[in-house]
Amino acid sequence: MKKWVKLAAAIVSVSALLLTGCGGNQKTPGGEAVNFPDKPVNMIIAFTAGGSSDVQARIIDKYWKQEFKDQPLTFDYQVGAGGQVGFTAITKAKTDGYTIGGINVPHINLQALSPQATYKIEDFAFICQVVKDPNLLVVQANSPMNSVADFVAEAKKKDGKMTIGVVGTFTAHHIAALQLMDLLGIELTLVPFTGAADENVALMGGHVDAMIGNLNDVMRDVSKYKFLAIASEERHPWLKDVPTFKEQNVEFVSDIRRGFAAPKDIDPAVLQVLRDGFEKICTNPDYLADMEQIGQPADYLNGEEFAEVVNTYTEQVKPLVEKYGLDKSN
Amino acid sequence: MDFSMLLSGFATALTPENLLFGFLGCLAGTLVGVLPGLGPTSGIAILLPLTTVLPPIPAIIMLAGIYYGAMYGGSTTAILVNIPGEVGSVATALDGYQLAKQGKAGPALAAAAISSFVAGTLGLVGLTFFAPTLANVALQFGPPEYFALMILALSVVINLTGRSLVKGLVSAVLGFLIAMVGMESVTGYSRFTFGNMDLMSGIDFISVIIGLFAVGEIFSNLENIGAPVYKAKLERLYLTAKEFIYLLPTMIRSTIVGFFLGLLPGCSPGVTSFMAYDIEKRVSKHPETFGKGELRGVAAPEGANNATTSGGFVPLLSFGIPSGPALAVLLGGFMMYGLQPGPTLFEKNADLVWAVIASMYIGNVILLVLNLPLIPMWARLVKVPYSILAPMVLVFSFIGAYSVRFKLFDVGVAIIFGLIGWLFKKIEIPTTPLILCLILGTIFETSLRQSLNMSHGSIAIFFSRPISLVLLAVAFVLLAVSLYTRFKNPEAIQDALAEESE
Repeated sequence: MKKWVKLAAAIVSVSALLLTGCGGNQKTPGGEAVNFPDKPVNMIIAFTAGGSSDVQARIIDKYWKQEFKDQPLTFDYQVGAGGQVGFTAITKAKTDGYTIGGINVPHINLQALSPQATYKIEDFAFICQVVKDPNLLVVQANSPMNSVADFVAEAKKKDGKMTIGVVGTFTAHHIAALQLMDLLGIELTLVPFTGAADENVALMGGHVDAMIGNLNDVMRDVSKYKFLAIASEERHPWLKDVPTFKEQNVEFVSDIRRGFAAPKDIDPAVLQVLRDGFEKICTNPDYLADMEQIGQPADYLNGEEFAEVVNTYTEQVKPLVEKYGLDKSN
Repeated sequence: MDFSMLLSGFATALTPENLLFGFLGCLAGTLVGVLPGLGPTSGIAILLPLTTVLPPIPAIIMLAGIYYGAMYGGSTTAILVNIPGEVGSVATALDGYQLAKQGKAGPALAAAAISSFVAGTLGLVGLTFFAPTLANVALQFGPPEYFALMILALSVVINLTGRSLVKGLVSAVLGFLIAMVGMESVTGYSRFTFGNMDLMSGIDFISVIIGLFAVGEIFSNLENIGAPVYKAKLERLYLTAKEFIYLLPTMIRSTIVGFFLGLLPGCSPGVTSFMAYDIEKRVSKHPETFGKGELRGVAAPEGANNATTSGGFVPLLSFGIPSGPALAVLLGGFMMYGLQPGPTLFEKNADLVWAVIASMYIGNVILLVLNLPLIPMWARLVKVPYSILAPMVLVFSFIGAYSVRFKLFDVGVAIIFGLIGWLFKKIEIPTTPLILCLILGTIFETSLRQSLNMSHGSIAIFFSRPISLVLLAVAFVLLAVSLYTRFKNPEAIQDALAEESE
């Protein structure tokens, strides 16, 4: 009974909050690291509510209060332009630590390289990495192709007409497809989709011949697919039978990473509080169990390690972006 | 499909605790739906964290209740004050608001509620019996089929163009242009943004709808201050049996349209409600009554958008594929409870799936029971003097526009489109083609480009695939018929198409 009352009260208070336009921030002088946080922390999510980034952050939210002095996390969806709207909002936020947000790699690297960049990689202070989600080369379950070699043979037979689904252009998938074409010496026809959901439908329905998919996106429909290879260093425990590209003599490693960041000029003491709190959450066994349940491959890296990964990424993709004429910044 | 599973689902859903959460969900959903701008998507997103204190079954029952409730609630403000807070209710406002002005707010609200109930429940029957089979139908739709479907949906525009075809087309083209603002979905380049970050994320169509309809209506009414907007006395509050029988075929037709199109990911209630409205107008013996306060014009879109809701659960449960943003949020909710919707969900979590399906039947009943007694209360709202009502409507419109993305920018958009709406009224340009093209624009463009990518630029792809060929042929025939009747009998058709003649 108590739970019901609590829930009803919560509904009322949320409605009230909405009517008043969601509170608004009181001004408090930043820099009092010792007292951080003494009010709710605002979490910017650059993708739609219910998407992978949101669901992951919601799992963080479950453990947030116990690590951050019982202050809640409030979610702020700044959706648009492939995450660029939200990512920019993080870099432009106040530096008091009360606004942080989820970021995705290599999205931020590619957007920062784009002629329309609205932020630079240096504008972020990295808190931590939480997810490393490898890419897979996927075909329909009943496809005659069984290996990367079959895929190459089929692609050559179709002479550039073989279609491969990717999510978006100027994205991790797009770059991965270009890298594959380079490594395997084949031509493919790229078909960009707006999200993993419609990409998955298109492959299931046979409207594209293959696709590049993330582990997290394809876990839902394992029985509908055949995985030719996973682009990670080693096989993944969730798909033990799926060989890596390396096992098939293709030096291809590709993934999407999710993490959290604050604007670059954040008070170092506050950043440290955030980093420590996140570390505690991310190493909590209950959290890890939750992550496995939602099919998100958890992979914690601390702020410095994550920053290193981000910078390496930029170095890696820059030549590719230039080669395919995607970099129009010069 | 297994009857014993459904029955045990009902047994689970009918426990007092689950009933209570179903009720709370429906209530919260109705409130969310009544507030403009706060549609099912933001409603579920906001209330999702609150359900995490519950075990999975009551939590998901509650979330589904919020979803259905919001679909119901959206019609109330559309009818009473011309604020379609959600795309699914835009078509409802066309005739609903006219009915309210004529003192028939009661019957209009009742038609909306009953049609929602009938179509929602029939849609659930479809979901119950055919979920696994129907899911495979959706898979037949690749980018070329979506493109053909969008062409078919666009053929509706011609019937929404009002007196002058040219003015209607101006409105439609403007809708497409607005849809193009922001970062383009395929190559990621921004268009018409002038480097402005707010424009980069695109113009949100809820703000446009609120602006054109609600704000624009107030601006027009301000011109003749003093003249009562709701001229007629408030008549009876419920539907007569005769009216119900008159509406029944409409409800069934709109269920079929809404449910089957709802199976297709991306085909939102915004699209299906317009298509159902158009079909009613085409089959009606008196198409000239549409747009002037026709009950069928309320029942059709309301039925269709609820049937779309049921249809959308088929790909969601069978493949984990959400048909639209609201179901995407719901999917997030499922995943937070460790439930992976997909082909194996019906096997792995059979008890949960059937409990949720059973609870949706119950939810529809709850909503009807909840909404019918509220009709007199809502209907009396039109008796509030306009000098008090108008500022209230304005405030709620602005809150609504703001609450979609929590950006002041969207309030500005609503005001600007309010002025555009007022201007459109003065020079008699219809607003509905703009909205329809705005809704369809992105998916139209995306599917066209994907198709041409697949075919290396050859448009033959649209004519060589059976489903897309049939859809295109149907669109062509409908268009031809509309144009023929229009030019053959310009006089009668002028009246029939005088959408916004008031």
